[in-house]
Amino acid sequence: MELLRSQTITARRQPLAASLSKWRRAVPLYMMLLPTIAYFLILTYYPLVHSVLISMQNFNLIGNRPFVGLQNYRNVLSDPNFWTSFRNTLVLGGSILVIGFVAPIIIALSLNEVLQQWMKRTLQMVIYIPHLFSWVVVGGLWIQRLNPDGGLVNAVLHVFGLRPVQFMSDPNLARWVIILVSVWKDVGFNTVLYLAAIVGINPELYNAARVDGANRWHEVWHVTLPSLTRTMQVVALLSIMGVLRLFDQIYVMRNAVIEPKVDVLMTYVYDQGFTQMNIGQATASALLILLATLLLTLFTRRLVQFDAM
Amino acid sequence: MKSKRRRVLMTLSTSIAALSALAGCGTGAAHSSGTSASGRQASTNEPTLTIATGVIGGKSPQENTAFANAIGQALHCNVKLISMSGGSYDQKLMAMLASGQKIDVVYTEGSTLSELAKAGEVTNLQSEIQQSSVLNDAKVVPQYEWNDIKLSSPNGQGIYGVPVKYQGALMPIVREDWMKELGLQQPKTLNDYYHIFQTFKQKKGAYGLTLSSLYDIEPFMSAVGVKNGYVMQNGKRTIPYATPAATPVYAWLHKLYANGLLDPNFVTNATSDERNLLLTGRAGMFVYWDAWVPMLNNLAKTQGLGTSFDAEALPAAADANGNRLVSMGDTSVFAIPTNAPDKALAFKFLEWWNTQPGEILGSLGVPGIDYTVTNGKYQLTQVGNSENMDHGDPEPISSYWKNPFPQLQKGYANARQIGEQEGYQPLIDANWSNAQKIIWQYGDDAILGKLSPEAAVSQMHAALLKLHYIDE
Repeated sequence: MELLRSQTITARRQPLAASLSKWRRAVPLYMMLLPTIAYFLILTYYPLVHSVLISMQNFNLIGNRPFVGLQNYRNVLSDPNFWTSFRNTLVLGGSILVIGFVAPIIIALSLNEVLQQWMKRTLQMVIYIPHLFSWVVVGGLWIQRLNPDGGLVNAVLHVFGLRPVQFMSDPNLARWVIILVSVWKDVGFNTVLYLAAIVGINPELYNAARVDGANRWHEVWHVTLPSLTRTMQVVALLSIMGVLRLFDQIYVMRNAVIEPKVDVLMTYVYDQGFTQMNIGQATASALLILLATLLLTLFTRRLVQFDAM
Repeated sequence: MKSKRRRVLMTLSTSIAALSALAGCGTGAAHSSGTSASGRQASTNEPTLTIATGVIGGKSPQENTAFANAIGQALHCNVKLISMSGGSYDQKLMAMLASGQKIDVVYTEGSTLSELAKAGEVTNLQSEIQQSSVLNDAKVVPQYEWNDIKLSSPNGQGIYGVPVKYQGALMPIVREDWMKELGLQQPKTLNDYYHIFQTFKQKKGAYGLTLSSLYDIEPFMSAVGVKNGYVMQNGKRTIPYATPAATPVYAWLHKLYANGLLDPNFVTNATSDERNLLLTGRAGMFVYWDAWVPMLNNLAKTQGLGTSFDAEALPAAADANGNRLVSMGDTSVFAIPTNAPDKALAFKFLEWWNTQPGEILGSLGVPGIDYTVTNGKYQLTQVGNSENMDHGDPEPISSYWKNPFPQLQKGYANARQIGEQEGYQPLIDANWSNAQKIIWQYGDDAILGKLSPEAAVSQMHAALLKLHYIDE
């Protein structure tokens, strides 16, 4: 009985001692994590908690900031402008997501077929360059290009005897301009990701496919595309996380006529906070957007089983 | 033993890395969006005056320092000038105030002042102004300026700011050299204006008029006696631009657009585009600030745009009774936050700004950098010439003020007279920015011909009413 008890104690002690020594060995590694943890705590989570507090206040810049509970949230959810912006975000974000997801795959597959390396590299660089420019530059550039008077696009239309088109003052056309310009700007970045993934595909798979009688199309369909699945999942996740955060482009390219069709949730937050100094309501809407982004991201992770890869 | 030492070293090094990362967080630029210039070497026995501004000051960090220095010398204090140029000033100011930054004087404008005053964030200066020998002099600050500033006070009670400059008004600015060359008379009605635009198009191959959306069509709305902004009727908020009275002007603007007399890029134009179109001869007229008339003339000279270039202001179109209207600008003011560390010194600065030394600094700039004085004779330096006598107060309000360079004021006297005779301060409230979006949206649609003027006005009015931006 005594022996049994001592064995049990030893058995208990051994794992404890082992885990303690494991901990001790891991201390430097945990210390290495400290800067990262501190960074997120101070620069991300503290502002987040603070903004939850602000969203429940009648926020004055100086002096008292009375607590108003969920009133700011109620104001946001009963504001028709919020819902208009929400609808626009879904339409614009969804379209950018779909087209921006398919386009780089097509471009990467096409570039992969180019045999001359110099041509391949040049095309890759040309496609990638717009990603490096700020939205202020890109937005201004496209507004100018699409101008009915002096714009390059309308000049081309004029050559073909067509009447000038008011691209940026027709809300429905402007929506497409916003979508396509957004895709145009960022398509190069995702193309590079896919090209990198294509380079990493095992050549033996192609050889095996050829032995089985596969032509070029079969190789793309049955080897290249399935091998890109993981990259697609990463790109999809990153793109979905950005859907609700559309702002810079809209802010630069919007005007009075098209605003009802292109104003998005982030411009709503900006207008509330900075144009009308309604900080409490702006913070409440920003937190709602954050929550929606979180849910969307979790849903996407589930859908693509990102963790299971 | 060795591994133990290695572990200790690793632990120490990672701790140091963590601490240095944290230390880096605390020393970020306090004003990442602007520059902060301290006037002189900090003196322990002199107080410090902190001023937040967007347009007041030099055009470079070095000049800002000299600018702060000049204020400090005059008021015997250390001056910290937080200059936030380059747009989005209100946003930067709010972020700074919300972060707890203590400021003695803030530069702001009427609409923002209204918000700050309503929230109790700026000081009521009425009693100090009444006791001030400088600010209570009607020749220094005329009564109408105080009346305009009072519009930003809660319930019109109290005065929460002191004017920075003569704000001026928005009026048609025309290529006067073309008018003379083509034998055109000063317009009185919308038809006269139309005739001028038509002639510019035919004879000069230029657009008669360029706009930046509906900024600013008041000189044309003047023809039907309709005011910009809000108008209170029996205690109810109305927006005249959204009433049937405005319909003829939308119809007239559409006629300009349809006949190629209005720049078709007007929807996406920024105001800088309008200025460039006038300067380069691609448009004959636009609506802008009176103070810009001499600036345009000076720019045309310095940029070699031809000696004939002559910009002049025109009166607004007259209504049936011969009355004319142009919008006065949103008053620029200095205000003192309620948590200002040194309110007495801040008020002393507001007084000094409206005396001659302050006016010279705000207009000509810094002595030795922007201008020199020899035997009482002023001479602009190359820097001063390029900066166009604008350091935040290009046209001081005071009637004692005489610009020492009348030759660089071509067209200004006429423009200012138009502003003083025809100008009024539009009434703006907290909903105005949202309401203006709707007005511009439907107004632009009417000009583009997507909606008939009647339908545009009707839909505009309905949208404003639905969102409670107007009461009737």
